[in-house]
Amino acid sequence: MSSAAATWRGLGDRIRELPRPVVWAIGAAVLVLLILLPFAYQPASGFIDDCVTALAYVVMALGLNIVVGFAGLLDLGYVAFYAIGAYVIGWYGSGFFAAIAGGKGLHVWAESAGALPGIHFNFLIVLVVAAVYAALAGMIIGLPTLRLRGDYIAIVTLAFGEITRVFAINGADIHPFGKDYPLTLGRQGITPIDPIDLPFVKQFDPLNLRPWYWFALAMVLVVLFVNFRLRDSRLGRAWIALREDEVAAASMGVPLVKTKLKAYATGAAFGGMSGAFLASYLNTVNADQFEFSFSIFVLAMIILGGLGSIWGVVLGAVALSFINSRLIPDVLNGVPHKVGLNFDLTELSFGIFGFLLVIMMVLRPEGLLPERRRQIELTEGVGGDETLYEARA
Amino acid sequence: MTDRLAAERSARTGTPAASGDREATSTILQAVAVSKIFGGLVAVDGVDFEIPRRSIVSIIGPNGAGKTTFFNMLTGLYKPSAGRIGFDGRDITARRPDVITSLGMARTFQNIRLFATMTALENVMVGQHARMKAGLFASVLRLPRVRQEEREVREKARETLEYVGLRPSLLDQMAANLSYGDQRRVEIARALASDPKLLLLDEPTAGMNPQESARLTQFMETLRRERGLTILLIEHDMKVVMGVSDRVTVLDHGEKIAEGDPDEVRADKRVVEAYLGRQEGR
Amino acid sequence: MEAASVPARTTRTASLDAARRLVSHYGLIAVLMILPVAYGIHDLRVDGDLSRLGENLKDGVSNGAIWALVAIGYTLVYGIIELINFAHGEVFMLGSFVSFSFWSALGLTLASKGAGLLFGLLLTLIVAMVACGGLNVMIERVAYRPLRNAPKLAPLITAVGFSFILQNVGLEWLGGSQRGVDDLIKAQNDLFTIGGVHITHADVLAVAVTVPLVALLAWFVTRTRLGKAMRATAQDPEAARLMGVNVDTTISLTFLIGGMMAGAAGLIYALYQTTIWFFQGFQAGLIAFTAAVMGGIGNIQGAVLGGLIIGCIQQISDNRIGGEWTPAIVFAYLVLIMVFKPQGLLGEETREAG
Ligand SMILES: Nc1ncnc2c1ncn2[C@@H]1O[C@H](COP(=O)(O)OP(=O)(O)OP(=O)(O)O)[C@@H](O)[C@H]1O
Ligand SMILES: [Mg+2]
Repeated sequence: MSSAAATWRGLGDRIRELPRPVVWAIGAAVLVLLILLPFAYQPASGFIDDCVTALAYVVMALGLNIVVGFAGLLDLGYVAFYAIGAYVIGWYGSGFFAAIAGGKGLHVWAESAGALPGIHFNFLIVLVVAAVYAALAGMIIGLPTLRLRGDYIAIVTLAFGEITRVFAINGADIHPFGKDYPLTLGRQGITPIDPIDLPFVKQFDPLNLRPWYWFALAMVLVVLFVNFRLRDSRLGRAWIALREDEVAAASMGVPLVKTKLKAYATGAAFGGMSGAFLASYLNTVNADQFEFSFSIFVLAMIILGGLGSIWGVVLGAVALSFINSRLIPDVLNGVPHKVGLNFDLTELSFGIFGFLLVIMMVLRPEGLLPERRRQIELTEGVGGDETLYEARA
Repeated sequence: MTDRLAAERSARTGTPAASGDREATSTILQAVAVSKIFGGLVAVDGVDFEIPRRSIVSIIGPNGAGKTTFFNMLTGLYKPSAGRIGFDGRDITARRPDVITSLGMARTFQNIRLFATMTALENVMVGQHARMKAGLFASVLRLPRVRQEEREVREKARETLEYVGLRPSLLDQMAANLSYGDQRRVEIARALASDPKLLLLDEPTAGMNPQESARLTQFMETLRRERGLTILLIEHDMKVVMGVSDRVTVLDHGEKIAEGDPDEVRADKRVVEAYLGRQEGR
Repeated sequence: MEAASVPARTTRTASLDAARRLVSHYGLIAVLMILPVAYGIHDLRVDGDLSRLGENLKDGVSNGAIWALVAIGYTLVYGIIELINFAHGEVFMLGSFVSFSFWSALGLTLASKGAGLLFGLLLTLIVAMVACGGLNVMIERVAYRPLRNAPKLAPLITAVGFSFILQNVGLEWLGGSQRGVDDLIKAQNDLFTIGGVHITHADVLAVAVTVPLVALLAWFVTRTRLGKAMRATAQDPEAARLMGVNVDTTISLTFLIGGMMAGAAGLIYALYQTTIWFFQGFQAGLIAFTAAVMGGIGNIQGAVLGGLIIGCIQQISDNRIGGEWTPAIVFAYLVLIMVFKPQGLLGEETREAG
C-alpha cells in the first residue's frame, strides 16, 4: 500500500482520537476558511466555478452513499434523480410553460421573475418539490428491486436511469397536460432557468459565482448533517444491518421493504435537490446531461472515497470532480508534447479518468478514507451474502 | 378456532382432540401439518408441533432432517408449502420475519449471522429495532424523545451483553473480530434484546467445549426462570438436550418420528435407529 | 393467557401455488409475445400478410445473434466471478476495429470476391477472436485479479475504468465520428426470399458464424475437461479448488472465451452494419447484458435466447414505434422480467439457506 494512502488513514484515525473540543475547533476553522475562500478569487473565477460544481457533486455523492454505502443497494441509475431535480426547476422555474395562465405566468413568492410568462416558484419551494419528486421516483424505482439480489438491483436501477433519459430526450413529443405543455425540451434543452432567488437576498447573478458557492456549501453542510444524524440513528443501524445480512436483519425485526424504500427515497431526494441547483447554475436542462456515465461518475466518487464513509465520500467527490474539470484539461495538457507524443489530451480525458480509477482501486480497493467498518472486510470474509429468503414485497 | 385446529389434527392423527382450552392456553406455539418442499425435495413433511409456555423444547434429528428448515418457517424466512403456524394467539403462517419478531419471537442462527462490521453493542441495538419508534425525520432532528430512546436502547444493549457474559471491554469490538464463543453470546444477546417470549436457538453449542456447553445449558434455565422465556432448541449434543429439555421432538427426513420427554425419546426404537444409534455408535 | 390458536383461513393449496407458477411462467412468455402478436394482427389487417412482421423478426434474429455472442461473454464471466464486466462492450467494439483494420491491411476491398474474400474474412475472424480474447484475459489480470479479495464493488469500478480506457483507445484509433467501412459482403443484397421475407447476405453471415460458434462452445463446456472445470468453478469455486481445478486458469479461460465471442461479434457487426465507432460498445454492452440477465445469468443457452429476444424486440420497436424509444422499451422488458422472474427465463432459482 502506498505511503500516501497510509498517511490518509493515519490522518483519519488521528483526527478521531483528538478530544472533542479540538475537533470542533478545527472543524470551525476549516469552515471559516471555506466560507472565505471565494474572496481570494475573482467573482467569476474558473476555480470558484469548479468549486461550485464539486460541491453540487458532493451533495449527490452523499445522497448515493446512503443507498449504496449505508444500505448496500447498488444503484446504477442515480442520474434519474439528477434529471428529475433538473426538470423540476425546468418546469417550475423557467419560461418553459409559457402558455400557463394565458401567458401571464404563474408566480409563487418569486418577485424577481417580474411578469415573465411560465411558472416561477421561489427556489426554496423548487428545492422542496425537487426533493419530494425525486424521493417518490426513488421509491417507485426501488419497488421492483426489493426482492432482488445486489447485481440485479444494479441492472434494474440502470434500466430505470436509461428509461428516464429516453423520456427526457423524447419528452418534447409527450404532452401529458395538453398540447402546449410538453414534458421536456429534449436535446434542445430548457433555457434560461431562473437563477436562485432567495428571500431577503438579491437574485443570484450568473456572473458573480460567490453566492452560488455559498449556497452550494450550505447545501453540503445540511446534507452532511442529515447524513451523520441518520447514520447514528435507528434507521442508519437498520441500513447497515441490511447491508451486512438481509436475512439476519429481517429476523431481528427490521422491515426490509420499508427500510430499503427509505434509503432509496432519502438518497434520491438529495440527488433531486442537487439536480435542481445544478440546472439553475448551468442555466439549462438538457437531456444529454443525463447519461448513464453520470451515474457511474457519482458511483466512482463514493467507491473511490470509501463506500459508506461520509468524509471519504466528500473527499472522493471533490477529488473526482476536480480531476474531471481541472487536472485533465489544464495540468496534464501539454505533457504529451513534452514526452514526444502528439495527441490531444483533452480528447483523452475519459481514458485518463478510467486509468486513474483502475490505479486507485487496485492500490486502495477500500477507498481513500474507508469507513472504519469496511477496513476489516478485506481480511475477514464475513457476512452472509446469500439472499435466501422468500421475501414478500 | 382452536377446536378447528385440534379437530384437524385429530382427524389426521387419529387421536382425540386435546382436552380443549386448558392445554391450548398454555401453548405458545403451535404448528399444524407444516410442510416445506424444495423443488422435489420434501424437507419438512406434515409436522405437527407444540410448545408449552415457559418450557424448554428440543428438536433433534440427523443432518439434513429438516430442523433448520422448520425453524425458518416458524420465523418467517420460508413460507410453508402447506400447514399453519400459530404463535401467542395469532396466525403467523407466512408472515414477514420482522412482523413475527415484533410479535415476540427471536432466534439465533446455526452459522452465526452477526452484522460483521457492526460492534457488539450495535448488533444488540439492532435487535431492539422492533421495539423502537424513532422515524426518519425525528432522527434527523434528534428530538428529545429520540435522544431519550437512543440512550435507553444503548443502556439496555449494554445490560443484555453483560447478562450473557460478554466482557465489557468487548462492547465496542467489531463483531467479526470477536472469538467464536463471544459471537455466540452476542447473537443470543441480540435475540434477547427484542424482548421475545419465545427464543429459538439453532445449535447454539456447536463448536463449544463441554464446559461452555454446560454453562449455556444453565443459562437457558436461568432465562426461563428469570425472564419467563420459552425456549426452542435445535441441538446435536445429546448431553445438552437430555439435560435441559422438558420435551424432545425427533425429525428424520422431514418427518416427525417421535416426541416425548427425554427418557421416552431415548427409549424409542425408531429414534435409536434413525439417530441415536448412529450418534452414539461413533 | 390467550390461546395459541390458528384462526381459520383457507390454506393455500398446492394447486393454487401451481397455478401461480404457471401464470408467472407463461405470463412472462405472454408479455414477450405482446409486441409480435399485436403487430402481427395489425399486419394481417392492413397488409393482408405477415411479411412485414416476418421481416422484423428475421432482422431481429440476425441482429440478436450478435447480441447473443456478446451476451455469452457477460454470462460466463458473471457466472464465474459474479462481476458485471463493464468493459466487455468495449472489447466487442475493439473487435470491430481490429477486424476493420486487419482486413484493410489484408487488402480486402469492395472488389474482393470469392475464395479470396472468404479466406480473408476467416482469417480476420480468427484474428479478431484472438485479439479480443487476449485483451479480455489481460483486463482480468490487470483490473480484476488483484481485487479478488477486495470489497465486492471495487472490481466494478476498475471495470468501468477499463471501459473508459478502451473507449478512448477506440477514439484515438478511428476518430470520434461514425466510420463507414467497406461493404465487403454486400450486406443488404438478397440471397433468397422465403414467404415474402428477404434473407440478405448479412443475415446469413450472422447466423452462419454464430451457430457454429455457439455449438462449439456448448460442446466445449459440456464435453471437455476444461469446460467441466469451468462449470464446476462457476458453481462452487472453493469445491472446485479442492477437486484440483486451477481456479485462476479457469477464470482466465472464461475471459478468453468471452472475449473471443465478442471479437466474432465485432466482426459480424462491422460487416453487417458497415459503420463502426468508438461508442458502439456502450449500447451494445447494455443490450447484451440485458440479454444475459433476461435469459438467466450464468446460462449460455439463456444468453443466446435473451439475445435473440432482445434483437426482435429491438427491431419491432425500431421499425414500428420509433428507434428513439427502443432503449426504453428494451429496458422496460428487462424490468418486467426482473420483477416477475428474477432468475431469468432459463435461470434456476437460487438456493436459499438458513
Ligand atoms: N433453500 C433450500 N433449497 C433447497 N433445499 C434446501 C434448502 N434448505 C434446506 N434444503 C434441504 O432440506 C433438507 C433439510 O435441511 P435443513 O437445513 O433443514 O437440515 P437440518 O436438520 O437443519 O440439518 P443440520 O443438522 O445439518 O443443520 C436438506 O436436504 C437440505 O439440503
Ligand atoms: Mg440445521
